[in-house]
Amino acid sequence: MSDASAHALEHHEPVTSTGIPNKKVLMWAFLGSDCMFFGTLISTHLIYRKISATVGGNFLDIRDVFDIELTSFSTFILLASSLFMALGVSAIHKGNLKSMRWMLLGTIIFGAIFLACQVYEFTHFIHAPGNELTLSTYRGEPHVFGSTFYVLTGTHGTHVAIGVFWLIGWLAYSFTGKMSVAHALDIEICGLYWHFVDIVWIIIFPVIYLMEYAL
Amino acid sequence: MATESIKYLAPNTENKVKTQVFPRPGQHTTGLVDWLTTIDHKKIGLMYGMTALFFLIVGGIEALLIRSQLWDHNMDVLTNREYNQMFTMHGTTMVFLVIMPLSAAFFNFIMPLQIGARDVAFPRMNALSLWCFVGGGLILNLSWFFTGGSPAIGWFGYAPLTDTRFAEVIGDMGPDFWIFSLQILGIASLLASFNFITTIINMRAPGMTMMRLPVFTWMTLIVSFLIILAFPAITIALVELMFDRTFGTNFFDFLEGGKPHLWQHLFWIFGHPEVYILILPAMGIVSEVIPVFSRKPLFGYGLVIFSGAIIGFMGFAVWSHHMFTTGMGVVATSAFAMLTMLIAIPTGVKIFNWIGTMWGGRIRFDTPMLFALGFITMFMIGGFTGIMHSSVPIDAQHQDSYFVVAHFHYVLIGGALFGLFCGFYFWLPKMTGRMMNEKLGKFVFTLMFLGFNLTFFPMHYLGMIGQPRRTHTYNEGHGFETWNQIATIGAFILGVGIVIGIYQFVSSFFNKKLKPAGKNPWDARTLEWALSSPVKEYNFARTPIIKARDQAWENNYGPRENHSEKEPLDDHGVHMPDRSWWPLVTALGLFGLAMGMLFHRTIDPSGELVRDYTVPILAGSVAIIGMIMWALEGPGGYHLFPKENEE
Amino acid sequence: MISSLTKLLTIRNLVSGLFLLLAGSCSRIDHKQSALDPKGLVSQNQYDVFMLSVWITIFLFCTVGGCLLYVLWRYRAKNAEEAKEIPPQSHGNSMVETGLIIASSIILVILAVPTLQGVVLLNRVPDANDSETLEKLGLDRSQIDGAITVNVTGKRFFWVFEYPQFGIVTANELVFPATKAVRINLRTEDVIHSFWVPKLAGKMDLMPGQENFMWFIADQKKILGETDVATAMPAVHDGTMRSKVFAKQKFSDEFEPVGGLFYGQCAEFCGNSHAYMSFRALAQTDEDFDLWVKRFQNAQNPNLQTKLYDPKSSYNKNSFVSFADNKLGSGANREYRSVRKISPGQSPQVAPGAWEKAHSDDYEIGKQLFSSLQCVQCHAVNRTGLGAKGPNLTLYGLRTSLAAGWMRNDEESLSKWLKNSNEIKFGNLMWNGEGIDDRHPLRNLQDDDQKVNQLIAYLLGQS
Repeated sequence: MSDASAHALEHHEPVTSTGIPNKKVLMWAFLGSDCMFFGTLISTHLIYRKISATVGGNFLDIRDVFDIELTSFSTFILLASSLFMALGVSAIHKGNLKSMRWMLLGTIIFGAIFLACQVYEFTHFIHAPGNELTLSTYRGEPHVFGSTFYVLTGTHGTHVAIGVFWLIGWLAYSFTGKMSVAHALDIEICGLYWHFVDIVWIIIFPVIYLMEYAL
Repeated sequence: MATESIKYLAPNTENKVKTQVFPRPGQHTTGLVDWLTTIDHKKIGLMYGMTALFFLIVGGIEALLIRSQLWDHNMDVLTNREYNQMFTMHGTTMVFLVIMPLSAAFFNFIMPLQIGARDVAFPRMNALSLWCFVGGGLILNLSWFFTGGSPAIGWFGYAPLTDTRFAEVIGDMGPDFWIFSLQILGIASLLASFNFITTIINMRAPGMTMMRLPVFTWMTLIVSFLIILAFPAITIALVELMFDRTFGTNFFDFLEGGKPHLWQHLFWIFGHPEVYILILPAMGIVSEVIPVFSRKPLFGYGLVIFSGAIIGFMGFAVWSHHMFTTGMGVVATSAFAMLTMLIAIPTGVKIFNWIGTMWGGRIRFDTPMLFALGFITMFMIGGFTGIMHSSVPIDAQHQDSYFVVAHFHYVLIGGALFGLFCGFYFWLPKMTGRMMNEKLGKFVFTLMFLGFNLTFFPMHYLGMIGQPRRTHTYNEGHGFETWNQIATIGAFILGVGIVIGIYQFVSSFFNKKLKPAGKNPWDARTLEWALSSPVKEYNFARTPIIKARDQAWENNYGPRENHSEKEPLDDHGVHMPDRSWWPLVTALGLFGLAMGMLFHRTIDPSGELVRDYTVPILAGSVAIIGMIMWALEGPGGYHLFPKENEE
Repeated sequence: MISSLTKLLTIRNLVSGLFLLLAGSCSRIDHKQSALDPKGLVSQNQYDVFMLSVWITIFLFCTVGGCLLYVLWRYRAKNAEEAKEIPPQSHGNSMVETGLIIASSIILVILAVPTLQGVVLLNRVPDANDSETLEKLGLDRSQIDGAITVNVTGKRFFWVFEYPQFGIVTANELVFPATKAVRINLRTEDVIHSFWVPKLAGKMDLMPGQENFMWFIADQKKILGETDVATAMPAVHDGTMRSKVFAKQKFSDEFEPVGGLFYGQCAEFCGNSHAYMSFRALAQTDEDFDLWVKRFQNAQNPNLQTKLYDPKSSYNKNSFVSFADNKLGSGANREYRSVRKISPGQSPQVAPGAWEKAHSDDYEIGKQLFSSLQCVQCHAVNRTGLGAKGPNLTLYGLRTSLAAGWMRNDEESLSKWLKNSNEIKFGNLMWNGEGIDDRHPLRNLQDDDQKVNQLIAYLLGQS
C-alpha cells in the first residue's frame, strides 16, 4: 500500500454503488456486447454452412483443407494460456510482481504461438494445392465458406492479438517500477478479457472445426 | 485493495508540462482549447446537442429538397440519382446524426445530475465518444465530394444493391463512405453506452436506489443496454459488407453463394431495437415533464419502467416484421406478427400512465408541456398505424408505400423529435441559467405541430392510393399531386418552426436579457433541480444523501424525514480530473484510419489494382499512441473548494 | 432546374392545390393504383382487414384522446393560484393499470384473428378439393383448376413475364384471364424488386437467389361494374384494348372507363430509375385470353417464322415467304404474302402478280435497322429470348405502354423515346448500359427522323 500512495496522480477507486469497481462493470458490459459480435459471426457461418453446403455441384467437404491436429494443438495452447493468466492475476493480488511477470510472459508466449498457428493455418489453406480456400473461392469455385471462415476466425485472432499487445503493455509497465498491488484490478480486467476470448474459442473450435468431422 | 482509499496529493502541474508531448491543459483553460480537451459531461453534452442540431438543419434541407422534387408529377428539381442520394442521406443523418446524438446530449448532461454524480464513470471515454461522433458525421457528409457522390442505397442499404457489381457509377464510393461512417458512429454509441451503464449502475449517490431513479435515467439505462446489444449486429453486417466491397468476399453476393436475405436479418436485428433506441429517451423526457406540469408524481412509476424494459427486450424479437414481404413463409410471418402486436401493450401502458399522471393534477400549459402533449397525441397515431403494420395482410399493401413513411415520421418526429424539443424547453434553463421566451416557444410549437401534421397526415392517404416510397417522381393521373403539394407546404412550415426553435435554443446561451432561471423555475421534482442554474463545474459541492424518489420535490414539500442530506465537505476539496488531448487525438487517428481505408486502393497505369496501406497504418498508429498516452497520463486532476452553502 | 423552381412556385399550382383540398378531392378513392379500390379476392381481404384496423384505431384514438382532452380541461390550472396548489400525490392504481392492460390485449385479439387468416390466404392458393373453403371465399372449383402460372423476373428497370404453361414470354404488360387464379413466381436477376399491384393483391419481394410466390384472382363483377365486357375488358390480342384506351382519354386518365387495366409498380428501391419501374396488368375474358396466348405462341414459334422462298415447293393462299428485294438494300429480304395458290417456281420475281408486299417499305427498312443499329442484341422479337438484356418486344404493337408502363405507346412517345431515352428515363440501361457510349448508333438517332420513323413503323407494326 505504501508505494501506491507515492503516485501523486493515481486516482483512488471511489466507493461505488454496487461495490464492484467501475472498470470491471465496463469490462463486463463490453464482454456482453462482444458476445453479440461473435454471436452474429458464428450464426452467419452456421447459416451459410447449412444453405451453401455444396461447391461446384459436389458436397463441400472441408476436411480436405482442415488440419485438425494443428488446430487441436493451438486450441490446447490457448486454453493453457488461460491458466497462466489466472496464475498471473493471483500473483499480483498477492503483490508478487516477479511471479506475475513470468505468468504474463507465459500467457503472451502461448497467445503468440496460437497466433502463429493461425497465420500458418491461413497461409496453408489459401495455398493448399488442389484445395485452395480463399476469401471468395474454394478449389477455384466461388463459395462463401472462405468468407465466413476467415472473417470469423480472423476476428477472433484480432481479439487474441489485442490481448497479447495489452499484456505486453502491462509487462513493460511492470519494469517501470510504478507497478504495485494497486494494479491488481487492471490485470484482473485484462484476465477477464483473456478468458472471454478463450471461451469464445471453446465455442468456435467445436462448432467450426469439430462439427465438420461429426457429419 | 482497489477500493481502499488512497489520499491523493496536490497535483504538480508544473512538472507535467515538461514531461508531456502536448502540455496537458490545466484548471484555468478557456476558449477553444477548453472545448477541444474538455471531459466535463455537461460541455460534452452541449457539444453533442449543438452538433446534432447542426445536422438537423442539414438533414432538414435534404428533406425540403425531397419535398420540392415531389411537388408535382415529373419534376426535375433533382435528378433521380440526386434524389436517391438525398433520401439516403436524409435517413442516415436523421437517425444517426440527429435523434441518437440529441438523446445522447441529454443522457450526458442530465443523467449524472439526476443520480447525484459528479461526472460519468469514464470522462475521457465520454470525450472520445463525442469526437468519434463528430468524425463519423464528417465522413458521411464528405462523401458528396468523391466519386459517385453520396450513397444512393437507402439508409437500410439492402444487399445486393450495395454490391460493387450493381454500382450505377463506375467506382462509386458512396456506400464505402456510408459503411465507414456508420462504423465510427457505432464506436461512438458503444463507448457512450458502456459509460452510461457503468455510471448508472455504479455512481448513484448514497440512498439513490434503482427504484428511486428518475424515469429518464431508467430509460438511459435501457437504451444503453439496447445499444450495446443491438449495435454488434450492424457492425458485423457492415464488416461483412466492407469485406464484400473491398476484398471480394461473398457474404451478400448471391451469384457466388451469398444470401442478400442475411443482410436484412442482420440489419433489422439491429434496426428494430434502434427504433426503441430512438423513441425511449423521448418517452423518458416526457415522463419527467408531465409530472412536473401536473404537480403529481408519475402514475404507476414501476409499471412505466417495467414496460420500458419489456419494450426494449421484445424489441429484439420482432425484427422480421420489417420483412413480411420478403417471403419468409406462413409460420415465421405469423409468429412475428403476433409478437409485434404484443409489443403494443407495454407501449399503450405508457400512454395510459401519462394520462393517469395528469388525472387530478393542476395542469400548466407551458411550452415543455405543450410539446409533451404533442408527443402523446402524435405518438399515439404513429403507434396505431404501427399496429396496422403488424397485421400481415395490411402490411402487404402498406410496405414500402407512403403509408409507412407517414407511420415512422409520426413516431420519429411526432414522437422522438417532439420529445427532444420538449427536453430542450424543459432543461435549457438548467443548462443556461436563463428562461426562454414562452411566447416564442408556443409559436414554435404551433408551427411545428401544424407543419408536421400537414406534411405527414396526407401521406397515409398517398400510400393507400398507391404512391411507393423512395421514388424520385411519379406519373400524372394517379391523383398524387394535391396531397404531395399539401405535404410540401407543411414541410416548409415545419422547417421554419424547427429553425426558429434552434435559434431560440442557441440564443438563450448568449442573450443576457432573458430572465434568470433560478434553481427550480418549473417547481420540478428530480434531483437536478436542487442544483443552481447553470450547474457548477463540479455538479454537487457535497454528495447528496437521497431519501426519496423525486428528491427536489420532497425537499420542498415532503415530510422532514424525506429531505435529502449532504455528505460532509471533504477537507481536500472536490477532486476534478484534468482535461486531456488524447481522446481527440485517438478520434483523429480513427478518422484517419477510416479515410485511409477508403482511399487505400488505386489503379496504376497498367490497370492493376494497387493497395497502399501507409495512411491507414499511420493513422491507426496515431490512434494507438493516443490510447497509450491516455493510459499513461492517468486522470490527473486539481481540487476545487466550494463554499459551505454552494450547490 | 430554374424552370422547375418556377414551376414549383406557380401560383396556379398553389391555388389549385388549396382549392382541390377544399373541394374535398379525398372522396376519390378509385385512383389508378389505389389499394382502397380492391378488384380481387386477395386485395379485398387486405382491404377488409385494413378497414377493421382503421375502425379499431379510430375508436381507440377517440377514447384515449377523449380521456386526454377531458383530463386537460378538467384539471387545468385556471389561474396562477391554482397552479401553485399541491394536489394529492397518488402514485398509481394497480387495478386500473391491470384492467387497461387486459382491455388492450382483448382489442389486439380482434385484429389478430383476421390477420392469421389473411396470412394463409395471401400465401396459399386454396385447394381445389377443399369445397368448404372455396365456398367461403365465393370461388368456383374451375377458377382454381384453370389457374395460370406466370414467372415474373424483375430486371433493372423492367419486368419479364413468362407463361411456362404456354411457352411464351412478354414484358411489362401482364395479360391474364379475369376469372382464373393467377400464380406468380417471383425471381430477379439483379437486385431486390417488389411486385405490387394494389388493386389485385398486395406486394411480394423478388429476392435474388430465392423464388417467392404470390397469387391473385380478379373479381370479374367488380371489374365490369355497371359496364359490359366490351367497355371494361376490350380484347388485347386484336389491338382493341390499345385503340380503346387511346381513343378518347388522355394518358392521365386512361384508367377511367377501362376497369380491366391495372397499374403496378416496383415497390423496393432498386437503383437510379426505381421510380420508372412500373407495369400494367390487363384482365381478359377467358376467350380473349386464349386468343392472345394463341397469337403469342404462333409469333414465338420458331417453326412458324417466315422462311425463305423455296422454288421447289408450292404455297397456299396467304402464305408468307421472304425473298430478296434489292430496293431495300443489297442482300435484304422482304416479306411477301401470296394472293392465290402458288405452284413451284413462281417466285415473287417471276410472278409479281401472285404475291403482295406483306409490309410497307418503312417497316422492312425498320426491320433492317433493328438489326443494324444493334437493337436486336438486347431485345427479342418473335422469340422467347429468355435472359435477353432488354424487354421482349414480340407483338409490341399490341402494348398500351412504353418504357415499363411510363408512357403511352404511340408514335409520338416512341419517337421521343428512340431519339433520347435518357431524357425521359434518366439512367435507363438502353442508353447507359454496358458497352453503350456516344459512338453507339442508338445515341445518334436524334437528328435522323427518317430512321426513327422506320423503326417506329417496324415496332408498332408488330401487331
